[in-house]
Amino acid sequence: MIMPDMDSLAHPQERRFNPYTENGGTILAIAGADFSVIAGDTRQSEGYSIQTRYAPKVFRLTDRAVLAVNGFAADGNMFVKKVKQRLEWYHHAHAKDMPLRAIARLIQTMLYARRFFPYYVYNILGGIEEDGTGAVYSFDPVGSYEREACRAAGAAQSLVQPFLDNQIYFKNQEAAQGTSHPSHLPLETVLSIVIDSFTSATERHIEVGDGLEIFIALSKGRTLQGMESIRGLQELTVTEDGERLFVMRRDLKKD
Amino acid sequence: MISHGLTRLSLRVRGKLTCILTTMTSIGTGYDLSASTYSPDGRIFQVEYANKAVENSGTAIGLRVKDGVVLAVEKLIHSKLLVPGANRRIQTVDRHIGMASAGLLADSRKISQLARDSGAQTRKQWKEPLTVKALSDTVSWNAQTYTLYSSVRPFGVSTIFGGVDKSGPSLYIVEPSGVCLGYHGAAVGKGRQLAKTELEKLKLSELSMREAVMEAARIIYLVHDDNKEKEFELEMTWVGVESNDLHLPVPADLLEEAKKKAKDALETFE
Amino acid sequence: MDHFPTNWGRPRNDAFDAYATYPIHQRPYNGPKDTFADGVQRTQQPIVTGTSVLAIKYKDGVMMAADNLASYGSLARFKDVQRLHQVGNYTVIGAGGDMSDFQYIQYILEELSIDEISAQDGHELGPIEIHEYMSQLMYARRSKMNPLWNSLLIGGFKDGKRFLSYVDLLGTTYSASTLATGYGAFIAQPLLRKAVEGREDVITEEEARKILEDSMRVLFYRDARSMNKFQIATISSAGVSISDSMQLETAWSFAENIRGYGAQTQ
Repeated sequence: MIMPDMDSLAHPQERRFNPYTENGGTILAIAGADFSVIAGDTRQSEGYSIQTRYAPKVFRLTDRAVLAVNGFAADGNMFVKKVKQRLEWYHHAHAKDMPLRAIARLIQTMLYARRFFPYYVYNILGGIEEDGTGAVYSFDPVGSYEREACRAAGAAQSLVQPFLDNQIYFKNQEAAQGTSHPSHLPLETVLSIVIDSFTSATERHIEVGDGLEIFIALSKGRTLQGMESIRGLQELTVTEDGERLFVMRRDLKKD
Repeated sequence: MISHGLTRLSLRVRGKLTCILTTMTSIGTGYDLSASTYSPDGRIFQVEYANKAVENSGTAIGLRVKDGVVLAVEKLIHSKLLVPGANRRIQTVDRHIGMASAGLLADSRKISQLARDSGAQTRKQWKEPLTVKALSDTVSWNAQTYTLYSSVRPFGVSTIFGGVDKSGPSLYIVEPSGVCLGYHGAAVGKGRQLAKTELEKLKLSELSMREAVMEAARIIYLVHDDNKEKEFELEMTWVGVESNDLHLPVPADLLEEAKKKAKDALETFE
Repeated sequence: MDHFPTNWGRPRNDAFDAYATYPIHQRPYNGPKDTFADGVQRTQQPIVTGTSVLAIKYKDGVMMAADNLASYGSLARFKDVQRLHQVGNYTVIGAGGDMSDFQYIQYILEELSIDEISAQDGHELGPIEIHEYMSQLMYARRSKMNPLWNSLLIGGFKDGKRFLSYVDLLGTTYSASTLATGYGAFIAQPLLRKAVEGREDVITEEEARKILEDSMRVLFYRDARSMNKFQIATISSAGVSISDSMQLETAWSFAENIRGYGAQTQ
């Protein structure tokens, strides 16, 4: 419910049902050489009201695919439900999980099918490709998509994306003499960038906060390499295919 | 030569058959092929055949007592492979109404669907639960329609509708002919004659629901023919003060008690 | 950048749409006209409305409160309306917003319950199922641009678990240990959170009742569409119970001392 402002009461207005709202929050994904990290905060809000401190925006699709949805929460939940249903049907038909690039294409088709009554959601799909590389796909509400190394979306996109451009793509950074920027960062670095992005966004954006969920997809054959020490890491892997999926949760400020 | 001989033989056989059958049920006269045709003596054989389907079925009874209704069915188990409790012959129509049927189970499913739709429609239109009488009328109207046309077959079931509504406990039977009558005690299926005799001995309007459960179980066990039939399951539900006016299965412990008493009574009866 | 996709590609003159860029539901229409189209009405605004519903989780289950007023604009039109409704044996649904839509919802859920009973399959609908059903219904109706104009709280207790969740006319859902609809979301929710968050497993039934009563009193003081006559529903392992209507002690003597507004004292 939006608090009515004074001037809307002053003069008559045409009232029409608006089927959309905006539920705040921010999502983010970064691809590594052989891993992918997908994260989102757990606050759901409308206007100045916090509706709940825990409403997940990041969902496990398969052992190698994670989908983050941000925008109008009702559309987001319905969209994820339908994507999961399509993936289940695929599994029944082909006795395997759908590959990441195929899920990406499926999502574009499903979004574009609603071109003239769009799902008002920004999707970021992260995971492991068939060639074992970490991948991030980002979408606009009507299905335009591309594969990227990193992407932030949602309420604090304008705060987080420039930071990622600087830290992941090394924009506006000069490499030291005789060295070059690394093309891929290690998981440890990526995780601290993700956590820093969200703590910073929580400080500066009222719609971001409460909780943080970080999904980590690991490529086949990749060892944990220090991940054992991560506090509260929970494994979500179901299949024996080799790829592994983890989730870690952190508190964010609740104010 | 050969064909000539055959014709003569078949003529002879046919004559004999026709003779036997007409003396029995008028089969072969042609008047039994369609529900849209009367026989010269004013009967509709398709309806009577439908009653045969009912008579082949395990007994179903209903008791309308002081403060509720009890329904009980002798569900014959034709295979040991069936899951116990499956293929129920007592169905729920609405919160406060149940139906027990004898005859073709598939037909009774159609009737229950019809009955539920009728309940839903009444609620939608009047915001009121339908009465057992109104329900039985609706169903019987439908059943009667199926006795008019050559393109359809009458329902092969007799249905007992029991429930509690604003007029108190009610009990009705709808037959394949479309006849609908109210009863204090109802019995359909194989053992109905004996069951009716037993029901007549009871002072139904003075019984409590718990007493009725005992009597119903006793009657079902009594009418069951051990020699002819194999296993049976006793299915029993009730509606009334004991169940808060909801149509519910009789509680398991009470059902067991009733079964035990019924078996004991059987020993002394014989 | 404009992040609202319905605004993209829209010509500045709303009467002209050369490139068919409007979403279907608001596209200008130039085809043959159905004379009776105006006769088909959809809810574009609520008419007779209920105000806030409050609910909290406590030690033994869920407690919910709503007053008995249905307003017609600013007129207190119906003063004995029950806005808490029991569904099945484990669930209570509380409604704010349009009361005719709420009555329709009650009818739909009654049908659903009877279908479920008739199935005789040993399954019973609990609060989780009722909430999922309602969110699918509300979302489907908003997607047809013909919403059921309500904010609903669905609370229940089944299989040893308490459940409390929200759904509204847009199909938006969320759950938390304290929930409030309408004006309650602004006025009561902060009070409820302060009293409940982190103490869900400690609060007794008596304490829960007091928390809700205190919040209802504040709402009565501040929400002009509220009334000092309300009901409380408790849902626990003991089942559902919805109280008779009750009133709260209020004090208005301070009003005599108020002179003017804010800094104005005369």
